[in-house]
Amino acid sequence: MEAKTASLIEHYSHIDAYDEMFKEDMTLRDTWKKVYHNFETLGHNEIISRQKDIDWNLSENGTTYNIYNDPNGQNRPWNLNIFPFVMHKKEWDDVEKGLQQRVHLLDLVVKDIYGERQLLKKGIIPQEVIFGHRGFLRQCDGIESSTKQHLSVYAADLSRGPDGRMWMVNDRVQAPSGMGYALENRTITSNVLPNLYKDLSVVDQYDFFNTFNQLLIDAAPNKILNPNIVVLTPGPSSESYFEHSYLANYYGYPLVRGNDLLVRDGKLWMKSLKGLKQVNVVYRRVEDMFIDPLELREDSYLGVAGLLDVVRRKNVSILNPVGVGVIENPGLIPFMPAIAKYFLDEELILPQIATWWCGQKKELDHVMANISKLVIKRIDRSSRETIVFGELLDATELEALKQKIKSRPHLYVAQERIKFSTVPNFTDGKLEPRNMICRAFAIADKAAYKIMPGGLVRVSSTSKTFKVNEQRGGTSKDFCVIDENYVKTVKPKYCKITTTGLTKLNDLPSLTAENLYWAGRYASRALVLSRHLRMVLKEVSKTDLSSTFQKHSKIDYLLNTVTELTNVSPGFSTSKNVDSPDAIKKELIAIVVDKNKAGSLASTLSLFSNSFYAIRNLASTDMWRVLDSMQKLWHPITEEDQTKLSYKRLIKILDQLITKLIAFMGLIEESILVEQGLLLYFIGLNLERAMLNTTIFQNMLIGVEEDHVQYEILEALLHSHESLNIYRYSYRSHINIESVLSLIMLNTKYARSLTFLVGRLKKDIGYLPHSKTTSDLQDYEKGIFEAYSKLRLSNTEYLSEISGTDLPIRAHLKTFLDMLQVLFLETSKSISDTYFNHSKGHTQLTSQKFS
Amino acid sequence: MNFQITHTTEYTYTDPVVFCHNIATIKPRTSLGQELLDYTIDINPEPTQISERIDFFGNNITRFTIQKQHKKLSVTSKSKITRNYTEVKERFFSKACTDVTLEQALELLNANNENTFTPKQFILDSILIRNTKSNIKAYALESFKPKRSVFEATNELMQRIFTDFKFVSGFTNVSTPLSVVMEEKKGVCQDFAQIAIACLRSIGLPGRYISGYIETLPPPGKPKLIGADASHAWFAVFIPGFGWVDFDPTNNKIPENQHIVVGWGRDYYDVPPLKGVVYSSGSSSLKVSVDIRSIE
Repeated sequence: MEAKTASLIEHYSHIDAYDEMFKEDMTLRDTWKKVYHNFETLGHNEIISRQKDIDWNLSENGTTYNIYNDPNGQNRPWNLNIFPFVMHKKEWDDVEKGLQQRVHLLDLVVKDIYGERQLLKKGIIPQEVIFGHRGFLRQCDGIESSTKQHLSVYAADLSRGPDGRMWMVNDRVQAPSGMGYALENRTITSNVLPNLYKDLSVVDQYDFFNTFNQLLIDAAPNKILNPNIVVLTPGPSSESYFEHSYLANYYGYPLVRGNDLLVRDGKLWMKSLKGLKQVNVVYRRVEDMFIDPLELREDSYLGVAGLLDVVRRKNVSILNPVGVGVIENPGLIPFMPAIAKYFLDEELILPQIATWWCGQKKELDHVMANISKLVIKRIDRSSRETIVFGELLDATELEALKQKIKSRPHLYVAQERIKFSTVPNFTDGKLEPRNMICRAFAIADKAAYKIMPGGLVRVSSTSKTFKVNEQRGGTSKDFCVIDENYVKTVKPKYCKITTTGLTKLNDLPSLTAENLYWAGRYASRALVLSRHLRMVLKEVSKTDLSSTFQKHSKIDYLLNTVTELTNVSPGFSTSKNVDSPDAIKKELIAIVVDKNKAGSLASTLSLFSNSFYAIRNLASTDMWRVLDSMQKLWHPITEEDQTKLSYKRLIKILDQLITKLIAFMGLIEESILVEQGLLLYFIGLNLERAMLNTTIFQNMLIGVEEDHVQYEILEALLHSHESLNIYRYSYRSHINIESVLSLIMLNTKYARSLTFLVGRLKKDIGYLPHSKTTSDLQDYEKGIFEAYSKLRLSNTEYLSEISGTDLPIRAHLKTFLDMLQVLFLETSKSISDTYFNHSKGHTQLTSQKFS
Repeated sequence: MNFQITHTTEYTYTDPVVFCHNIATIKPRTSLGQELLDYTIDINPEPTQISERIDFFGNNITRFTIQKQHKKLSVTSKSKITRNYTEVKERFFSKACTDVTLEQALELLNANNENTFTPKQFILDSILIRNTKSNIKAYALESFKPKRSVFEATNELMQRIFTDFKFVSGFTNVSTPLSVVMEEKKGVCQDFAQIAIACLRSIGLPGRYISGYIETLPPPGKPKLIGADASHAWFAVFIPGFGWVDFDPTNNKIPENQHIVVGWGRDYYDVPPLKGVVYSSGSSSLKVSVDIRSIE
C-alpha cells in the first residue's frame, strides 16, 4: 500500500502553488480524500487501463477539437484525463452565486451599451472601452431582443488564486464552446469510474441541458409553439465542430451552415430538400462579425446576408444576440466593481485579477513602470496569440511593446501575473501537478440564470506552461460538484419537451443532402477504384512487362482503363514515357497512394472522409470505429517513400481497405434513416457506380482482340467487377462476351448488373420530394428513366455485334455505352440543380475592404 | 437656398441576379442649417421589401430586397432641400470657436462625461482609418501646435491638403489604403477627407467624415450640364466647448450652401451611398449621376 502511494505521487515532490488535492504538508484535502483513495485502490495498472478506455471511447465517438494550421491535420482527438476535478457543493454554492451575479451584470451592461448608454454618459465606463472595442457593433444599436435577457448563454473561465478563492479570468459570450465537451466528459468518465462517481455523489447536469432546450424553444419570437430551431455552425473546419454536431444531435435540431439559410420576405429560411422552411430560432456558433455579410463583415461566407434585418423585425431570435462580443473585454474588469455598485448596489462576489486599463494616465504610468512583471492583453483579442507575458521579453521587445501600448493605450490592459492552482493530472502512469482553468456555464432560465453544476476543466499541456488553452494542446477533465446530501432524482437523460417540425426528408438541409449524396458517390468511387486497382496490381505483378507490354495486350487494356477511370494525369493512355516497367510501376503506385495526385485512390479516400466528416452528426459509433480503422490502415502508407512500396504490400492493404469500405457502407445503410437523407446517399452511391462501371465497359468491352487476349480481358473485367464466381455459377462455360454482357449489363436480378443498378436508381429518384407531384416526370427523372428503358429494350446479340474490318470494334455497344454515360451525367447535373443549388453564391455589390 | 437633387445609381449585371439585399445611405439628414423638404426614392425593379431606419450616427438608412430576377438595378432618389448655412458658417469665425487652442481642446476632451463621450469616439481608429503611420502625424504636427487655435490649424491643414494633394479621379477606389494616398499625394474628395481625419485623430482630436453633394456652378455665360454634379465628401473637427466645424479640402473652403449633407460617420465605410449582397455569378458595372438644381 505504502509503495503504491509513493509511486503514484512521486512527481508531487514539492508544491509551489496552491494545489487542489494536497495541502502544503502533502496531506489530502477533505474533499479529495475519496477521489484519491479510490484511485489508490484501483492501482497504477488499472488506472492506465481505464485511461485507455477513455481514449478509446473518445476515438469511438469521434470526439475532436480542430486546431487551425495544425501540422498533424484536422480532427485532432480531444484529450480527457481520467483524474477528475472535484469541488464541494459548499464551495460551489458561492461560485454559483458569483457567476449568477456576474452574468446578470453583464446582461445589464449589454442592454445599456446597445440602448441608453447610461454607463458611458455617467462615465462609469470610459467610452474607449466600448467604442474602441471592435466587438461593439453600431449596426446592432437599439435592436431589441425577443428574450427577457439579452445574454442567454454565458461561459466563464475561472481559476483558483493563491488566496484559495476562485477568480474570474475571462467572460465568453459570442459562441462559447465547451458545454457539449463537458457533457461528453461527464458521460465517459462516469462510465469508466462508476464506483467513484457513486461514492462521491456527483451532482448531475441533465437538468441544465433540459433547461437549455426549453430556453431555445421559449426564445422563438411571439412564443410560437413548435418553433423551428437550427444550430448554425461555421463548418467542419471550425475548432469545435464536434460539439456543434454533438449538440445538434443531442437535441435533434438540424445542423446548418450559412449557406443553408436565406433571408426572404423579411424572414429567415432554411433551404431544405423540398424548398424553404422558416426558421424561428438560431443557436449560433458563428462569431458576431461573420453573421451577416450585408451589414457586418462583407467577406464572410459563414453567415446569412440580411440576417440582422430579420432580427430587427423580430422574425427570428439568435442566441446569443449579435453584438454581445463587446463584453468579451478585459477592459471592463477595472470598472466591474463600479458597474455592480451602479446597477445592483452590490460588491462583486467573484474576485477578479488586478487589471490596469492603459487608457488612463495613472494606470498607463503604472503599467509602463512595471511592465516586465505584468501580463498584457488587448481588450478585443484579435487573435489568441495576443497575450504577452512581460517577464518573457528581453529589453528590446519590452521597449517595442511599450511603444505599441503608448500609440493606442485604450486598446490594452495589463494584469497581475497570478500563480494559479495546480490539479493532479494522470500522466505517464503518475499523478503530476498541472495548472488548471475551469470553464463554467450559465443559461437564462426564466428571469434568472441557471448554472451548470461543474463544467469543463482544462489543464496545461506540460507542467511548465503558463497558459492553458485547448488550442495549444492541453488536456481536459470532468469537473464534478460533489454533495453528500445530493439526492439523485431519476430523470430521463433528456426529455424532449416539444418536437421540432424539422425532422422529415423534405426538411433535410440542402447542404446535408448534398454532402450525403457526395458521401455516396465517393464511397462508390473508392470501392470501384480499389477493386479495379487491386486487380490491375495483381495482373501487373505477375506479368513480365518488358516482353509483353504492347498495344492490344491485356495489360494495355487494363492500364488504359485505369487512366479513364481515375482521370489522372499523365496516366497511361497518351504519354509515351510510361511504357517501361519502372515507369509503369511508379505511375501505378502514385495512382494508389499519392493523395496530392488528383483522381488517385488516396485523393478519393480523403474526399470521401471529408464529405463524411461534414455529416458527422448522422454517424453512429460503429461508423466512427470503421472510419478510424480505415484511416489508421491507410494513412501510414501515404506517408511512405513510394519508390520502396511493393505491389504485394499494396495488394494486401487494398484487400483490407475493401473489407473496411464494405463494412462502412453496410453500417451507413443501417445507421441512417431514409428521412435523414439515406436516400440521397443511395442515389449518389448507385449513380457513381453506374457511371464507373460504364467507363470500365467502354474501355474493356468495345475493342475486339484475338480470342486468348479477349478471354484474359473479360476475366480481368469480371475480377474487377467481383463477378467471376457468379459468372462461373451461372454459365459454367468458357468466358465469352455475350454471357458477360448478359450478366453484368442486362441481368435484372443480379445486384451488381448495370440494369439492376439503374432500376434501383430509378426507384430511389422516384422517392425524392419533387417526384410524382404531377403526372409528368421531373427533368431529373427523365435521364434515368430513358437509361433504364434502353437497357431493358436491348439484347446481347445486338450489342456484341462486330463491325469494321481494319480495326474491328463493337460499334453498337460503343454507341449504347456512350449514350448511357451522357444520360447519367445529365441525371447527376439535374439532381444537383434541383436539390442542391437553391441559390447561387453571393457577392458584394461593391468591394470594400474590411478587417 | 433651396435645391432639387436627383441622384441615380445604376448597376448592370453580366448575369441575371436572382435576388439581392441592399442598403442605401442616400436620404439627406436634417442637420444644422439644412432641412429636408421632400424626398422620394424610386427603385427598379420594384423591391419586395423596403424599410427605413435611423442608424447609430443618426443617418437615414434605406434597406431593400429585390426578389425578382433582374439584370439591371437602378436607384433614383429625389430630394428637395433648404439650406441656410451662412449663419452657421459665420459662427465658426466667432471667438468661442477660434480661441480654443489645441492644448485646451485636449484638456477638455480628457473628461468622460455626457458632452464628450459621443464626439470622443471619432478620435478612435475606424475601419478605413486605422493604424495610421507616423508620416500622418508628422504631417499634422506642421499645423497643430499646443498654443495654436484648433480652428486655424485645421483651416491650414485643409489648405495644405488642397495644395499638396492632386485631384486625380480613378487613381484610388474605396479600398485604396490611406497610406497609398499619403505617399502618392493623389486621390479624390473622400481620400482627402480621410487624410484630414487621420491627421486630426493622430493628435487626439475627433474627426468626422461627411458624405453629401456639391453643386457645381457652370463657367459664366454657359448653361449647366445635367449630371455635372457629383457625390462629395468633406470632414469636420470637433472643437470642445464649441462643436463641430466642417472643412472641404477638395475645394479649400469652409462649406456653404452648395454643400448638401447626406450623412456622416467615422469614415466612408459608415455611409456608403449604396451597398449590397447579390446572388449571381457574374460581374457588374456601375453608373452614377447626380444633378443639383437650385430652385425658388
